[in-house]
Amino acid sequence: MRNSIRRAPEVKPMDKLTRRMREDAAQIRAEVSPELDARIRASLEAAEPVREETPKPAPRAASMWWWSSLVGATGALAVIVFLNIGNETPGPAPTEVVDSAIPPSLNIQRAVMTAPLEQELENLESDLRKAEEALREDLGIFAREEEDTPEGP
Amino acid sequence: MSEELKLIDAAKAGSVGAFTELVGRYRDGLLRFLITRCSSVADAEDALQDTMINAYRYLKSYDPRWRFSTWLYRIAIRNAAKQRRDSYAGIDDVADEESDPLEMCIDASERENLWITAKRLFNDDVYTAMWLRYVEDMSINDVAAALERSGSWTKVNLMRARKALDAELNTPGARSEAYG
Repeated sequence: MRNSIRRAPEVKPMDKLTRRMREDAAQIRAEVSPELDARIRASLEAAEPVREETPKPAPRAASMWWWSSLVGATGALAVIVFLNIGNETPGPAPTEVVDSAIPPSLNIQRAVMTAPLEQELENLESDLRKAEEALREDLGIFAREEEDTPEGP
Repeated sequence: MSEELKLIDAAKAGSVGAFTELVGRYRDGLLRFLITRCSSVADAEDALQDTMINAYRYLKSYDPRWRFSTWLYRIAIRNAAKQRRDSYAGIDDVADEESDPLEMCIDASERENLWITAKRLFNDDVYTAMWLRYVEDMSINDVAAALERSGSWTKVNLMRARKALDAELNTPGARSEAYG
């Protein structure tokens, strides 16, 4: 028979190594002295928070005006032609729009769901970059050691 | 709204007092961490000052989805790395190469401090991951975010580092296979 008494979740006791890590960290003397405190306060009073800058709109090219005029004129011409054709031959009766509701954008949900993965991908790329830097540093050290080593007879 | 978020909002509005109160609870912990990461106590103090100023200046970019401490440590890690680079480049006038600040800040006792052993065994990122996870009690995700590393890298390296540290403590002198 299954035991129906629900046990309280067990709190994992801190293991010996973790306890020692904390104890040994606490042994390190570190206290902000009044001088350092005063120094930090003075720097903070003097520091200016960085303001968020609103991006300025990109300047339009001069040719933009010509292009927009051309597009506008073409559009107007197309409407006039369409209306004239419509007067000669009556078109079919307008159909009723059954559902004009705009479907919700699925991109929003997708963005929310993939955000952690994108973050993890960024972090993995960061891993690779750091590993590459470490490797380059090691290779540099080896190269220097080889240069320093005197050649044999 | 939590007290911390209220302080963050006030600090974002430009209140230095609110910011000082906000970071006050992390200050000593940050300094302790920076002492383990910098090449001198003076560098650690400079790095702390830079961390505070950068955090204040860029507070608007703080994303409340993360813990504030994670964001603060991320800045501190960058500043510690910058201080070390400057020290190695010989920019600093006072270079006390002969004395490790970590050893200077620990009272002599019978046993060797585990963090000195860890510093000898691990590279910067692994050491920092261990510190954030086991001293600052951060979650794996927060550690990964602070280090700008993937979750899998963090998990694997924490596990291997623990193994290596355990092996080193049980058989001192013998280099562990996990980090050998």
